[in-house]
Amino acid sequence: MSWTRAGIFSVFLFVVFVIQEAAISKINFPIAGFSLYLAVLLGLMSLEDKFGAFVLGFIGGLILDLSPSSDSPFGKWALILTIIGYLFATNRESIGDFTERPGSFVIFISIGAALTLLVFLCFGVLLGENNGSFGTNMLTILGNSLWTLLFAPILLPGLVKWRSITINSRERA
Amino acid sequence: MAAGGNNRSRLLLVILLVTALFLITLDLRGINIAKNSRSATQSFLAPVQRGFSDFFSPVGNFFGDVKNFGKAKAQITDLQKENAKLKNQLVLNSDVKGQLAKLKGVLNLAGRGGYKVVAARVIGQGSASTFTQTITIDAGSSDGIQKDMTVINESGIVGVVKSVTGSSAIVILMSDPTFRIGVRIAGTQTVGILLGQGNSRYTLQLLDPTGTIKFGDALVSLGSDNNHPFVPGLPVGSVSFVDHSNSALTQTASVTGYANLNSLGVVSVITAVGKQDPKDSLVPTPDPTKTIYVTATPTPSASNATSNSPAPTPAPTVKAKK
Repeated sequence: MSWTRAGIFSVFLFVVFVIQEAAISKINFPIAGFSLYLAVLLGLMSLEDKFGAFVLGFIGGLILDLSPSSDSPFGKWALILTIIGYLFATNRESIGDFTERPGSFVIFISIGAALTLLVFLCFGVLLGENNGSFGTNMLTILGNSLWTLLFAPILLPGLVKWRSITINSRERA
Repeated sequence: MAAGGNNRSRLLLVILLVTALFLITLDLRGINIAKNSRSATQSFLAPVQRGFSDFFSPVGNFFGDVKNFGKAKAQITDLQKENAKLKNQLVLNSDVKGQLAKLKGVLNLAGRGGYKVVAARVIGQGSASTFTQTITIDAGSSDGIQKDMTVINESGIVGVVKSVTGSSAIVILMSDPTFRIGVRIAGTQTVGILLGQGNSRYTLQLLDPTGTIKFGDALVSLGSDNNHPFVPGLPVGSVSFVDHSNSALTQTASVTGYANLNSLGVVSVITAVGKQDPKDSLVPTPDPTKTIYVTATPTPSASNATSNSPAPTPAPTVKAKK
């Protein structure tokens, strides 16, 4: 991943973040809310190489740390999503190219979203944060994963196209 | 070459992790990077949220409406008849009407309590990925709103202002797991602490080990020093379940809040308080039991009937509760 592409992705992720905060969070989804931002970020991370997954995870985490409704210390999302980026990069190689396996992509993303939120909660516990009852949190994670499972197939073609537009010939080779 | 690439990736991973840990440490040690950057983001997001709020207002509850689709079919015929009448009466947009009704309710509550309030529209809700229960309102420091001011709706307390920018503010809702408020039971004056649970239920812990709680007890806010963050006397909720287990040192109970936090359209921020404490006067009073007596009146046709026919028996008295 080139630094130019990292910059383009940062702007793109910030736009998705604004849409998430201003529009998606206004919709009362049954069970729990849907995080478009996490789905897009995890989708992009899963299409990248090892280097790209870390960098995107870190940048995406920093943007998510800007959320005004967040009570967590600044940098927590950056740390978590960098770790998730590492886990994605190491496990992705065993699955292969996602563009040829949309089913695997969808499952991978929804499990990734659940894992990310779970790690976020675990880190919160380590930092002494109060995140509410266990049942409510599990319901939130489950709801988010289900919505991600539902919406990820719609996102995949767009993400693949967006990536192919931004990738340069050197990286393609 | 591959080994070189791997080393580079590993080095980058370590650098990114250390940077993230460094940021967290700075934040936890009180060097507030987050406050300024989040405040700047909020200033940027507020106008966008306001724009989206107008657009998403009718579709925000789309999924909830879909759930009740079955019931709606049976009501269509009745609604079609009613619709013809309503078309003539409709002057204002129903959304605006609803907001006006809420605003009227909240101003009524503020008036009775002697509070000076600033009304605001809810333009955003907390992100799905942060586990916090917050709303964003379209009034900020330019409207006289400051951090730690109490936020109410027509039913009672909603939350507390967490952060403010020039034109918007973030309110932490009562349902947030970190939310704590001192309350007293209206009537007995027993004092306790109400804890948010992340959903529509709250937990009440009495401070007095000998205190008692009853089902239906109304709770009002205890108040804070200089009325920040909590104004005294505001309706909070009513006891819905009392935990009678003897394991705890103090009695606990489940509480249902008066304010419905899932349908907040318009709220008010209390900016100043009157000299007198409203005590328990703001507690919502339950509707009085209405008794309706229905007595059968003999019709002329019945009285003209043959004299052998038995006298009409009066209909049984119906006691209806409302």
